[in-house]
Formats: sequence, structure tokens, C-alpha cells
Amino acid sequence: MPPDAATAGPPPPVAERHLASLLLHVRPDRQAMVRAAMATMPGTELHIDQPGKMVVTVEGPHEGWIADRMTALHLLDGVFSAVMVFHHIDRPDDQGGDDAPSRS
Amino acid sequence: MLDRRDFIKAQAVAAAAAAGGIGLPAAAQTSMVAGEDTALKWSKAPCRFCGTGCGVMVATKDNRIVATHGDMQAEVNRGLNCVKGYFLSKILYGQDRLTQPLLRLRDGQYHKEGEFQPVSWDRAFDEMARQWKRVLKEKGPDAVGMFGSGQWTIWEGYAASKLMRAGFRTNNLDPNARHCMASAAVAFIRTFGMDEPMGCYDDFENADAFVLWGSNMAEMHPILWTRVTDRRLAHGHVKVAVLSTFEHRSFELADIPMIFEPGTDLAILNFIANHIIQTNRVNKAFVETHCNFRLGQKDIGYGLRPESVLEVRAANAKDPADSKPIDFDAFAKFVSTYTLDYTAELTKVPKERLLALAELYADPKTKVMSLWTMGFNQHVRGVWANHMVYNIHLLTGKISEPGNGPFSLTGQPSACGTAREVGTFAHRLPADMQVTNPTHRAHAEEAWKLPKDLLPGKIGYHAVLMDRMLKDGKLNAFWIMVNNNLQAAPNSGNETYPGYRNPDNFIVVSDAYPTVTASAADLILPAAMWVEKEGAYGNAERRTHFWHQLVSAPGEARSDLWQLMEFSKRFTTDEVWPAAVLDANPSYRGKTLFDVLYRNGTVDRFPLSEVDAGYANDESKDFGFYVQKGLFEEYADFGRGHGHDLAPFDRYHEVRGLRWPVVDGKETRWRYREGHDPFVKAGEGVRFYGNPDGKANVFAFPYEPPAESPDQDFDLWLVTGRVLEHWHSGSMTMRVPELYKAMPMALVFMHPDDAKARGLRRGSEVRVVSRRGEMQTRVETRGRNKPPRGVVFVPWFDSARLINKCTLDATDPISKQTDFKKCAVKIVAA
Repeated sequence: MPPDAATAGPPPPVAERHLASLLLHVRPDRQAMVRAAMATMPGTELHIDQPGKMVVTVEGPHEGWIADRMTALHLLDGVFSAVMVFHHIDRPDDQGGDDAPSRS
Repeated sequence: MLDRRDFIKAQAVAAAAAAGGIGLPAAAQTSMVAGEDTALKWSKAPCRFCGTGCGVMVATKDNRIVATHGDMQAEVNRGLNCVKGYFLSKILYGQDRLTQPLLRLRDGQYHKEGEFQPVSWDRAFDEMARQWKRVLKEKGPDAVGMFGSGQWTIWEGYAASKLMRAGFRTNNLDPNARHCMASAAVAFIRTFGMDEPMGCYDDFENADAFVLWGSNMAEMHPILWTRVTDRRLAHGHVKVAVLSTFEHRSFELADIPMIFEPGTDLAILNFIANHIIQTNRVNKAFVETHCNFRLGQKDIGYGLRPESVLEVRAANAKDPADSKPIDFDAFAKFVSTYTLDYTAELTKVPKERLLALAELYADPKTKVMSLWTMGFNQHVRGVWANHMVYNIHLLTGKISEPGNGPFSLTGQPSACGTAREVGTFAHRLPADMQVTNPTHRAHAEEAWKLPKDLLPGKIGYHAVLMDRMLKDGKLNAFWIMVNNNLQAAPNSGNETYPGYRNPDNFIVVSDAYPTVTASAADLILPAAMWVEKEGAYGNAERRTHFWHQLVSAPGEARSDLWQLMEFSKRFTTDEVWPAAVLDANPSYRGKTLFDVLYRNGTVDRFPLSEVDAGYANDESKDFGFYVQKGLFEEYADFGRGHGHDLAPFDRYHEVRGLRWPVVDGKETRWRYREGHDPFVKAGEGVRFYGNPDGKANVFAFPYEPPAESPDQDFDLWLVTGRVLEHWHSGSMTMRVPELYKAMPMALVFMHPDDAKARGLRRGSEVRVVSRRGEMQTRVETRGRNKPPRGVVFVPWFDSARLINKCTLDATDPISKQTDFKKCAVKIVAA
């Protein structure tokens, strides 16, 4: 039985910034369409765009936000798969501040 | 100058490019490692979810997992992570994690109808042992049983096998992998004399064609799917064929898409064999040297209860596995009726697509990889379907070489490593040995240092039969570990739940979370998960992969291994072994099962000092010796020297897994092929050495219809399965808020015209009703799954909407695996 989605897990830390990079496999003939769809997703940025493959970064306030984008991209028409490679969390209130980032 | 934010972004992009094989500097990897936070301790582990076996890096801080990411050094996934893997670190920390044993009590005493209350481990095991002893005394070993899992670590499955077979002297031990790949396992043994694929994931980079037989890799095996996609996009000649009973995400990549009528994949397979023969593309030299032909039994029933009319009516329900030798000509004649016209008519697939598919196999220049999971395996003729795909690879000699091979994917992380290799099925012993074979039993007795003739030779109850025997009151003491069978089992309202609540029975469930199965138990034991213990899994490509204990389990949660071994201390041989055995072997008298099974001089031979000082090991600390190493080494001896060779224990902690057989430190990527497999001698070329004559078996089987098909009253096919966000019954992924939110409930996916014809539309509340039960949900007519008219799809992850109340408990009569893909339902407004 699922927990209450709003209360499960540790409380979200404040003012986190999450950045993830995703590797997308894309139908070359629909790449323009995928680019257009991506342009409507805030926080999503296209960095490498070559036939069949794209590298995209997603930035947002928490992991769920990143996961939502990842799932949305995975299910986009013309996208074969969207998988995560790199995820970085900035916690300004961490002891080391901005200079000691952790990565997940 | 780059600011810090841009720098991190550049690093992220470079890492993704490197992982995707996009030519950017390899410096990315270096900078990532350098960037790993020094305050965190990073260790390797295989992912906890599916059978792919991705490597992940796990970061811990203050005894808590704080981060995970795809392991760049893991060959399987090369740094990639799917959405489930991304949330691995959260599965341990669901709010309702079980941390204490819970026993049903009324007035302070155990009572079947009591309320769950926390008790100590001592109290829990006291009650459990009392119940076990009562049942053993009243009914004997046949009335106790255990339902395990393809999620058990290798040593947990091995310890369980010893406890049940040698301790309690019953083979009533089966894994939930029975629901998942029993058909594949049985067909491997019947064809090649040995279980598990001959090839490996390296085939992905060598094949010219991929054929997905019912598998939806895009959602269920996303990381392997990136390897298929890479190959397809980078090489213009590569073709992908996707076969299914409904359209799903994998169809995006399909050059040859194919929606077929449920169950008729058998006819497609025979048509391909016929096409290969009719167009003279049989690899005659290969077939003459390496194949035998056999005619299988037909009309074998549907694995239902014996009194079912379908069983009574079937001519050969009693001996479904029989077969007799034939020759190639007889086989050719047998499949000759599967013509293009007949097959197109039966399957409703356009002829040109059937031909295009058959050509992938028939063309000697095309290297083809066949992939399948539940579509073949959860099939009332699942063993046949597996055999038939081997047939077409064998007829063309397209097997056991890079890019050419039939590849059975798996759904659980150690379905291969534990359920199959260790042998936790009701009929199996380690290293493919069988409980019915006296020589195999004698070998196990010797390896386990046990009295002769101790091990029982009768096959135990398989998963579905366990449920029936619980209901019928013949199986009375039952322990369920690491699985959620009440949600997973077919026809659960009629055949599973009644057995759990039968007043004659005592049901124990070990789990990390209060699943529906745990809620129906009498005693719940809190389990440690994943990296809360030292573990080992074996993935779908024969890769054995270890991990260390990285954090401790919460509260009083204990690993399954600890539970099994600790429980064994509560029994002495005098209580559970026959007097005759003890009279003949008096030195075993008065010893506990713990003494004779685990303190036997082999399992306990490695001291605590051999445990890596950098990691905790709660079980070893408790028992006073390196438990995992002792169990593994005793187990590994079963397979060494004859094709199941595993490396020494410590090596696995150093590498990202190795594919067995591992001989002289080297893993094997393609079995049965000279130059790749050390067990094939020079000059032999190919040898299927699992069979005494070195040959594989090609079986002739017909098409036979499913157990239940739509009719006037129940007019739709029901197909069940999984979705991207959730893994199996959702007991872990439904506790990750982000995954729960992404896919909170199981919808019924149906064709818009089917909805319209019933006065329904997207979002309508409906009841899905079968002859056995019903569930309520909403209609989805858009989105990722698009069934054709006449078919609906419902995923089974949702514990609040149990689709398995509707499914039919029909199994493949040979493998005893349930067909969750084909039964008849109707859909009505709620």
C-alpha cells in the first residue's frame, strides 16, 4: 500500500538545485519535433544534437521534478529512450557551501 | 571564464556524451571521479530491481545511503541509469518500513484472527517453531513449505534450499521466479541439457536484427534498450521486429511491427521454421552435426485443477512433457501445414510482415538476436514457445556466436543467479541437478556432509500448487520470503487468499514493507534489504555480481539469511529426521539443524578476519564466521569443473561481475562455441555439452489455443504486465513518492472504439470483470499502451487495484508457470 505521497521520505531540504544530464536516443526523422517539444519544458536544455542522439540537461528544485521530466522525455513521441547519466545536487546550506557539492 | 554552475553543467554534458558513445573527451570520466565528494563513501553494487544487472555506485554517509548513480565501469550499463535505478537510494527509506516482528495476538496469545502486535525475535521464532513442529508431527514434511524469490541473494537461496530439503526433508520450496521464467528454464534444460543463455549482452553490438517476441524492452529493460537503439541507429542495415498483442513503447523503433492474436505466436514460430525449410535455407551441416529431432506431446491441458473440464478433456494432461525421437523429414512435414496463408489468417498479421520477419531468420547473412520475457514465459504453451524459438536458431545454425542467439531476458535481479543456478525450484538442486535423480541427491548429500538417503526425491509443490494445497489444508506451515505473492498470484481471490487465511495454516511473511501478502499473514518478520547486507546476484547474461553491506538495517530488521540460519537453531535432528537415518548415523543425533547444515566444517571454515575491514557484516558477526563466503564456496563447488564454474569468492568483490563459466580467471561470453567456451575442445566447433551426445534438441509442437478466450459474455482479452515506473508489485517503487506520483494507479488501457462501444471514454470509472473476480479502475484510451480492438491491458503493480483477482490460474503444464497474458474479461461502467 502506497504511503501518502506528500509525506513519505525525509522532508525536502530548502533551496536545493538539482541538475541532471540525460542521454536521449531519438528517431532522426522526428528530431525537429522532439526539439520543439523540449523547448516547451522549462528547465530543459539541449546541449548535443546529433542524428539519433541528444544530450540534455534538466534543472529543477527537487529529484521528483527531474524524474518527471525524465519520464516525460522517455515517453515523448520520437524518443526511444531517455536515461540518466549524471545528477548533481547543490545545497547552499551544506557545510561546505557551494564548494562541496554532492553528486547522486 | 566558466562559473561554477556552467562548469558542473559542462561536466554533466560530457559525462552523458561519454556514456552515449558521443565523441567527447574521455576526461569527463576522470573529472567525475575527482569530483566525487570526499565526505561520501562510494561503493559498487548491482541494482536492486530487474534482471538486467546494471552496476550502480552507492554513496553512504553516517550509515545512510545519500546518493546512487550508474557505474561507468559496469559493462552492462556503462554509467546509464533508468528512472527506477535513479531512485534506488530511496527504496530503503519508505515511511512504513517494517522494523519489528509482528504477530497476530489475542489476549496475549497467538490467534489466527488476532491483531498484529510487535513481539521480540525470540517470541516470533518460538511461535513459528511451535507451529512447524506441530505440523511436522501431525502431517510430516509434505505439509511445510517455503515460497522464496528471484530477489534472494545467492547465499540466501542456498541456505533456504539446505534448510528445506536437508533440514525439513521436503522439496516444497519454490521461488516467485516460477511466475516469471520457469518456462524459459525448463526449455533450456530440455533443449541444451543446461540452463541459461549461451550468449550475452555483447550480442547487442554484433547483431544485424533484433526480434522482440512479446517483450517491451523500452519500458521493462530500458538500459538494454539503449544498446538496441544505439545499434539500430548507428547501422542503417539493422532491423528491429517487435511482436506483441498490443502496441507499446518499443514499437517506436520497429521496422517490422506486428500485432498478433493472443497465443498465435506459436503459429508464427512454426511458420518461420517452415519458411526456412521451404526456401532451402536450413544450415544442413550444422543440423546434421549438432541437432536431434523430437516429436512433442500434444493436447496437454492447461495446468488447472485436475477436476477442471479442460484437464479432463485433454488427452495428455498426465504426461505433458513426453516426446519421442523423429528425423528432420518428419519435422519438416510437421511444420509444413504452417503456410503463409494459414498463419496470416490465424494471427491476423499481414503476410508481407510475416515474410519480412521470417527472412530475418532465413537469410544466412543476417545475424539475429531473439529476445523475450513474459510474453513467451507466461503462456500456457510457454515451454513450447521457448523450444520453437530455439528451433529456428538451430535450423539456421544462428546460435552461440557474436550477434546470433536466442536470448531469454529476466525480470528479477537474481532469477538466474539464485532461483535457477542455486536451484530453489521444487524440482532442482544446485548446478542444474534434479531432486528426482538419485545420483544427484547422493552428490548433494556428500557435498553437504549429510547422511546417505536423507534428501527427499519427490518433487515438491510448485507456486500455484502451493496456493491450492494451502487452500485445501494440505500445506499448513508456510514461509514467504522477499515476494508479494498475494498480489502476484493468479486468481488470487479464489486460490491464494483463502489458503493464507485457512485456520489450519500458519503463514509467515518476511518483508521490508507491509505488502498485501504480509497483511494476510499470521507472523510478519522485518527484512533487511539490498545493501543492508552483503549480497550476490546473478543476472540474465550469467553475470555473478557481489556487493558489500553498506548500511545497517533499521530497527530489528534482519536479513533473510540471518532469519533462515537463526530459525534452524530451533530444531534438532531428532525432531525432524527419521529414526532410521539417525540409527544408521548416530553421530548426527542431538545436533541442531544449524550445526548440521551451517556449522558443518565447510560453511564455517572462513574466519571473521577475512571479512573486509572496511565494511560491516551483521550476519557474520552474529554467527562468528564469514557466513557468505562459506556458503558461496560450498555452493560453488557443485558447478566447478563442469561448465558452471564460478570464480573464487573474493574476486567478485573486486570486479563488476563475471559471466560463468569462469575458468582460469576468464569469463565466458559465448557458450558451446570453440574459441569462446573452454569446455569445447579444439576441432569440435560447436558442442552442446549439456547433453551427453553433445547435440541440441529440436522439438515439433503444434499451435494450440489458450485456456480461455473471449466469448459473448466476457468479450475482451485481458493482458497484464508492468510499466516503466514500477517494478513488479510496486512494494518498493510505490514507496518512492516521485515514482508513485508519476504512475499512481493501474489503469485499464483500451482502444477508444472499444470504450465508445460500451458508452465509456477516457477517465470513466469501470469494473474489469472475469469469471473469477473483478477490480475497479479508470479507462485510459491514450498514452503509451495502445491495445487493438478486443484487447485490454492492465498493469499489476497497484495493491489497491488487484488485477490478479481476474486472472486465470492456468499454467503451462510442463513448466507450471502461469499465463498472465490471456484470459477473458468484460468491462462495464462502475
